[in-house]
Amino acid sequence: MTVTDIPAVLARARRGDDEAFRALVEQHSRSAFRLAYRMAGNEPDAEDIVQESLLRAYRHLGQFEARANFGTWLYRIVVNCAVEHVRTRESRKKRARMEPIDEFTMPVSESPGPHRLAESRDIGRRVAAALDSLSPLERAAFTLRHYEGRTTDEIARTLRLGTSAAKHAVFRAVKKLRAELKGLEAGD
Amino acid sequence: MHYSEDELILYHYGEARRRERIDEHLNTCDACAAAYREIAGTLALVADVDVPERDDRYGLEVWQRIRHDLPVQEPPWWMAWYRPTLASGLALFITAAFVAGRYWPDGAPAAPVTQSDTTSPDAGARVLSLAIGDHLDESERVLLDFVNASGDRVDVSGQQAWAADLVDANRLYRDAAERAGDDTIAGVLDELERNLLEIVHGPSTMTPAEFETVRARLDAAALLFKVRVLSGELRERDLAPTEPRKTT
Repeated sequence: MTVTDIPAVLARARRGDDEAFRALVEQHSRSAFRLAYRMAGNEPDAEDIVQESLLRAYRHLGQFEARANFGTWLYRIVVNCAVEHVRTRESRKKRARMEPIDEFTMPVSESPGPHRLAESRDIGRRVAAALDSLSPLERAAFTLRHYEGRTTDEIARTLRLGTSAAKHAVFRAVKKLRAELKGLEAGD
Repeated sequence: MHYSEDELILYHYGEARRRERIDEHLNTCDACAAAYREIAGTLALVADVDVPERDDRYGLEVWQRIRHDLPVQEPPWWMAWYRPTLASGLALFITAAFVAGRYWPDGAPAAPVTQSDTTSPDAGARVLSLAIGDHLDESERVLLDFVNASGDRVDVSGQQAWAADLVDANRLYRDAAERAGDDTIAGVLDELERNLLEIVHGPSTMTPAEFETVRARLDAAALLFKVRVLSGELRERDLAPTEPRKTT
């Protein structure tokens, strides 16, 4: 089944036609995964977020307004699902501070030598760790602003925040990233 | 005059006001130009996350994984709510008043939450439950974000702005709950309001030790528990009279 007639497919999906919903899943899963990965920073979490978001979307299809854009609606679900997922992950990490630290959560405060820093792989790892140091909300706001090119108003609507809260979340994210990546700025 | 870091971040993302003036300033002010170069340099470093590729079959794979777990679809809001009576109209009016109260908190008059004799108590109560449930969910998010803040200097300015957005709505819902005689809801909202105000009026940046003191004073864990329990109860209240539609 191909999604050639979106309104008709949506209408069928909203009436509970699983084949129609399958078409929507096939059409939107890749973009949902890209967004989820940027928000979560690793594949297993991104996969979980995609699945949870699509199940949530299915459950609430009856509340989806036919005139709205399904992609935009799903986008918001993925973002909010990712915020909750990362938040849960952070709480779990806090409770298990004594467990061995895996590669992704390597503390950024360690001081690798100049040769290692020169390798883009290590820079990438530090960037990943710096992004991981952001709170779930900061990471979501930064992802929407920096990678997805969303305006402050759009970020506020997507995350159901006030405009000033959305703006401050981006500010804090950038400030934390600057602190974590000090000395590594491009061009240095 | 120098531009702040926040203004330069907005400038970087094309959202600063009077962009031309900042352009000119950066050409003449070494300090601001250097600060901006550092910001742009950091952001260039996090240019993009290397997202693993997913091929054309990915959508089908996802479908195969979720197809057996599809939940019951919730009915459209109008199916669950519509009653061809005066009560439904009044319920919609109450909803509009709540929305108005949330977004135009300074406007007179406050939400007419008292139920008249002609209003269906069920419809009014469900509208109120739904609105308060959403509000509690959002409050839970801001509290969680606050208690999870960290760093050498804990910066909670964003959480303060977010909490400030919720205070007016919280007051409105607390008043509504009091007038409806629901002491449980009013009690939790009262406690929530005091905590939101404590966050709003507290310092924006703190040492970890200072932050720990504030966090302990808030006793956020206990409040979060109450907020979650109440939110869950309200959702159950909301769903109880309507049988979900199973369509698959």
